[in-house]
Amino acid sequence: MDQKDLLFKQIFDSNSKKIFHLCYGYTGDADAANDLLQETFLKVWQNMDKFRQKSLISTWIYRIAVNTCLTYLRSEKRQAKDELTDSVIENKTEEFSEKNEQIALLYKSISKLEENDRLIITMVLDELPYNEIAEISGISEGNLRVKIHRIKQKLTELYNQHARL
Amino acid sequence: MQDFENIQSLWQSHPVEAKISAGEMLEQAKKEVNSIRTKSLLNIGGMVLSLIAFSAALLYFDFDSWTTKLGIGIIVLAVAIYTILLYREHRLISRNDFTVHPGAFLAKLHEYQLSRFNLYNKLFWFYVAAISLGFILFFFETLHNLDTWVQLSILLFTILWMVFCATILRKAFMKKEKERIDLLIEKFGRISAQFNEQE
Repeated sequence: MDQKDLLFKQIFDSNSKKIFHLCYGYTGDADAANDLLQETFLKVWQNMDKFRQKSLISTWIYRIAVNTCLTYLRSEKRQAKDELTDSVIENKTEEFSEKNEQIALLYKSISKLEENDRLIITMVLDELPYNEIAEISGISEGNLRVKIHRIKQKLTELYNQHARL
Repeated sequence: MQDFENIQSLWQSHPVEAKISAGEMLEQAKKEVNSIRTKSLLNIGGMVLSLIAFSAALLYFDFDSWTTKLGIGIIVLAVAIYTILLYREHRLISRNDFTVHPGAFLAKLHEYQLSRFNLYNKLFWFYVAAISLGFILFFFETLHNLDTWVQLSILLFTILWMVFCATILRKAFMKKEKERIDLLIEKFGRISAQFNEQE
């Protein structure tokens, strides 16, 4: 195995879990998240030589993942798949324990947010520093703080609304 | 009633596991382009084998008529030219490492698609014309001593086979090839656009 392959393996092992969680939060569907994860890391591998070390490699990968997620649903075929997300989440609520039910509710609430907001809140939930989220999403830190505050409120509201039903 | 901190701890307590390993991911990334290269190589391999077979017939069989020698000669020449063209196309995609220069690879992929289209359209008819002429000359001597019905059967089979290759088979192959390359172009196009925006 050559140097590039080894480096890729290291990068994949240390970032794939977080990226998968981001994609899962965005789609609410494990299979779609897996597709997005694969597409993201395919791009990472193809462009590793272009990475300029100006930012953290994890920030760079997050940017790729965010762009991949945003372009993912634009294809007609995938939009159809996205419409299934609701039913997937709803089915999951019936499957397991109370905790799993709460988790399914959380994903359902996230899925009700705007596309960009979904990605931002997923990074917030994963405790990424605000400056890193600002760099990934291309929003100034000041604006981002306001936006995050608003998304947090909206998500909490949605979650509680769904929980009451 | 939950507050955001509860929601966050709920999120973090949810274990997620990707269904693919780094090794599988790497293998998949390499496989996509390699399959086009392999098919292109197999195509060339098949043509080289035909070239060897026809050349061997010309060298090792003692044909009496000049028409047979000319016929096989034309076939050998047509196959050789087509093989060289296929090889030139193969080099378009095999000389570019898409992991190093995705932009350049994308440009070559476009060039490859256009070249493939020409090869199976205009150039293909020259190839068919040459092969047909070659076979007509070849059949003068080889079919001469056979019964009329055998001669007609062989001629009919040859004509039908060539018509099948030039119509149904060629169109199906071109359609499949176009879909495959379009998909790759779309994928690499998206990747390149994204990286141009970021740089």
